[in-house]
Order: sequence, then C-alpha cells, then structure tokens
Amino acid sequence: MDQIQLHENLRRTMIRIAHASKSGHTHIGSCLSCIDIVAQTILFEMRRNDKFILSKGHASLALYVVLREKKRITDEMLDSYFCDGGHFGIHPPSSLPDDIPLPTGSLGHGLSFGCGVAKGFLYRRKKPLPRVFVLLSDGECNEGAVWEAAMFASHHQLNNLVALIDRNGWQAFGRTKEVLGDAAAPDKWRAFGFNTYRVNGHRISDLQAVFKNIRVNRNGKPHAVICDTVRGKGIKTLHDQLHSNYTTVDTAMLLQATGSH
Amino acid sequence: MRVAFAKSFLTVAARDPRVIFLTGDLGFNAFEPLQRRLKNRFINAGVAEHNMVTAAAGLAYTGLQPWVYSIAPFVTIKVVEEIRNDICLQGANVKIVGLGGGYDYGLAGPTHHALQDVAAILSLPNIKVYAPGFAQDVAVIVGKMHREKTPAYLRLTKGQPTDLRLPPYAPSRRIAKGAKMTVVALGSIARPICELVAQKAVPAGTIDLWVVSELPQELPPQLFRSIRQTKTLAVVEEHVKTGGLGQWIAHTLIERGIPVSRFIHLYAKGYATKRYGSHEFYLRQTGLDKGSIARTLRRSL
Repeated sequence: MDQIQLHENLRRTMIRIAHASKSGHTHIGSCLSCIDIVAQTILFEMRRNDKFILSKGHASLALYVVLREKKRITDEMLDSYFCDGGHFGIHPPSSLPDDIPLPTGSLGHGLSFGCGVAKGFLYRRKKPLPRVFVLLSDGECNEGAVWEAAMFASHHQLNNLVALIDRNGWQAFGRTKEVLGDAAAPDKWRAFGFNTYRVNGHRISDLQAVFKNIRVNRNGKPHAVICDTVRGKGIKTLHDQLHSNYTTVDTAMLLQATGSH
Repeated sequence: MRVAFAKSFLTVAARDPRVIFLTGDLGFNAFEPLQRRLKNRFINAGVAEHNMVTAAAGLAYTGLQPWVYSIAPFVTIKVVEEIRNDICLQGANVKIVGLGGGYDYGLAGPTHHALQDVAAILSLPNIKVYAPGFAQDVAVIVGKMHREKTPAYLRLTKGQPTDLRLPPYAPSRRIAKGAKMTVVALGSIARPICELVAQKAVPAGTIDLWVVSELPQELPPQLFRSIRQTKTLAVVEEHVKTGGLGQWIAHTLIERGIPVSRFIHLYAKGYATKRYGSHEFYLRQTGLDKGSIARTLRRSL
C-alpha cells in the first residue's frame, strides 16, 4: 500500500469511528485537517526517542488512529473511544505517557511542554539528540503562552523542537482572520526566531521535503512548519466549514468518504 | 526564609545534576551565588510564568527535577491550570517554590499577596503543600521535597530565623504543652504565637501549641488527644477561611466524630480598607498580628 492510500485509509477510519460515536463532539473537521501531518510525522519522520505532542488536543482521533497504525494501541482500546469506561475520550489521556507525553485539550500548553522536553534532552546529552514535534492549531496561536514558549524555544536555541501549525483558517467560533488575525502567519514566527517553512499540509511530498530540510538544518533555531490545510478535508460537504467541528457524521457523509470504494 | 532556601537548595542541587532551577525573573540580591554555581542548570525563564511551569513539566518528563521559583501568587494562582494539567495529572516531579505566603509582600499590595494559594493548590491531585514554620525548617523540607518524586509546593515567607528552642521538624509538631486550649498554626504565623507563649503573654500552661507544615497529612493522634482534652480549638493561618488549615482540621474532626465546644478561627479576611501598608499593617487590620492574636487567645481562655 502506498502512503497516499494509507492516509486515505486513516481518514476513512476516523470518519467511521466518528460516525459510530453518533456524537457531534469528535471535532472531525480538525482531525481531517491535520491527519496528514500527524501520519507523516509519527509514522515516517520520527525516530526512536523522538516525541510527538498533540497540542491541539481536540483532534485526538487523528492521534489515536495513527497510534493504532503504529501498533502502539490495540483495536480494542480504540474501540472503547467515546464509551463509558473507555481508554479514549475527546481529548488525549494521561495514561500513555510514552506516546502521549501530555494530556492536552486546554490550548496553549503543548509548545511550552515541548520546550521543556527538548531542553531536557539537551541536558541529558542523549545521542542522537531526540527531537520533539508539537502540533498546534492556528486558532491555538491566540494563546499568550504559545508566544512565551516561542521566545523560550528561540532563546534556548532548541534546534530539536519542531512546531507544526495546522493552518486551516478556522477557530472555534469564526475564521482566524476575523477573530484575532492570523497567528500562524509565517512572519510572526520568523520574528520570534524560528526557521519558518510553509507547506501544503495535505501534500505528502511537501511534508517530506520540509522534514528533510529540518533534519539537516543545524543553525540553532527552532522550527515552525506552517501547514496550509482544509478543515473537514475528505468530506466534501464539510470542506472549509465552521460547523465541521460540531458535526455528527451521518450516513451521507460516511458514504461520501467511503461509499464509492 | 529566602536565604535559608537558597542555601539548602544549593546543597541539594550541587549533589544532584538532575536538579534544574527556573526563576520567573526574580531573585535579585539572593540567587546570584546559585546562578554562578548551577551555571546552565539555572534558567531565568523570564516574565513568562505559564511557559515556565509547563516547560518545567516537560523537563521532568525527561527525568530531571525542576524547581520553579517566583513570588507566591505568580507560581500558584496565576498558573493553576498549568499545575493541574501539566504537573499534577501526571504526578510530575516538579517542585514549586513561592516566596511571600499571606500578606508577606506588604506594601507591594494585594496583587503580590498570596491569601488563596494553599486552597488553590490543595484542591489539585497528587501535590503536597509545605509551609515551614521557621527558617530552620527550610533545609529539612527542601531535602524531603528533593527525595520525593512527586509534585510539591513550598510556601516560603520572609520569616527570619528564631532563637526559640524548637522540637525537630515534623509535618505537625507540638511546640508547647498546655491544658486549656489547643492552638494550631499553619506555617510561619506560628512564630508570634510561640513568642507569646515563651514570653508568658498568655497564662503559662494554658496553650497546647502545634505547628502544621504539610498538607494534606494524616494528623497525629496526640493532636486529636489534645483537642479531646481541651475541647477548645483555635486555628491560626495567614490565608483565607476557604480551603485552608481551619477547614481542613474542622472537616477532619467532624469525620472522626471528635467534639469541640469552641472553635476559633483566625484567618486572613482580605482587605478592610483600600489603604497600603507593611506586612504588620495588614496583619493588624485582619487580627493576625501578635497583639491581636494574644488578645483573642486570652479572651477565649
């Protein structure tokens, strides 16, 4: 199976699980906008000891399906999603610290935590130096703590820290541009001392190329990869829609995503 | 206590390379030696407490033991969510050190006072509050915090070393024996009461005086025996009524069915006026200065 097909399967799995949950709280729109980034990072880019932090915790379903693909969680565990007494809820748990270093959900924590982990790896002098990938949403970049963390990362020269920003242009109650402006604008991150890259967050070759650049870039700066994405990508009626994060996936949507195959 | 802390922390940090110190841009005229000795293990995280606390949790994730320092409200009330989500839920090995419990920062005003810190921290899971009674306690507590691998909050005050003779440190300890009234104080507000007893400003042999320095804790049976005997309990704390030592003890007594005929609670009542003043001024306004405490205790005997 090629990687495009794999990503397609992960999308369909998420949509099936969201449909089965019968809930409007799976944040399926956000999950669909970041799944390619999560899959590329965890399944293809990370080496042993590298860490991934899903700072935009509401897109947890994307993390769960990728961790299952990586065989870090079982089908049984994933099947318990949204069930009483289950392993997984809307936001990531604190029960799997190796793969989920931080229980996120309240926005603005992941990059700071990532700074601490990246700095900790430097203190511990681990060889090869492990890297820390933090996935943020563009709306999340409203949080002041994100910029405190950005200053810290830059000042401490955390070259082993990669901020991935899922720039789907939406936040919880409006377009980012209409709420507080585009906090994922590359010039902001550049001004805070990051190596800044801009890619299509759904194009695997783009993501591969940027990671290749990052691997060889040893200029002492942290990295910010601004990934242009589409909220709801994969369910046409949800594309670039605010309500994609509040939608219960119905049978018509399920068919849109899976029916023709 | 800041000097006592700097000294004992340095001893611990010199022995253990996993110890990291983070300050929220504070420590002028006190932490310079620490900065020199710890070199790159001393981080001035800037005026960015939200990041500092969560980054400390990240450091702990890699096996280090970060100690986070600032004025008490800035590492407690300001960052309650970071402490809850990033430290306490995981039981991360992070130590929080706040200087200025209560009205300690006096003229700096209400923004710099910590009257609700104990309540805020105690409401969180897996974390312990340490409130040293005397500067001499700080070294013991720092050693203990270092040995424990769980979250802790150290509530320092500007309390100066005392030459009173004290029993060895314990989470709860008896300072003086008496038969009429059990007095329990949280942390350094114990000191003026100790002096009152030592100076016989209250009748000799009346006050059974205890200092509590750790919460939560299993209170010692001797303390319960004392309360059963005197039937009169006074709790003194430089903290608001809600969520502090007074409520903790009252709740424990009710749970255990231990009756008291009188319960006196001396606590921080906030601000009677919008006027500024010294630490002593605020204590007087709220009835927690030495004179007011003496009057209340004498009246209740």
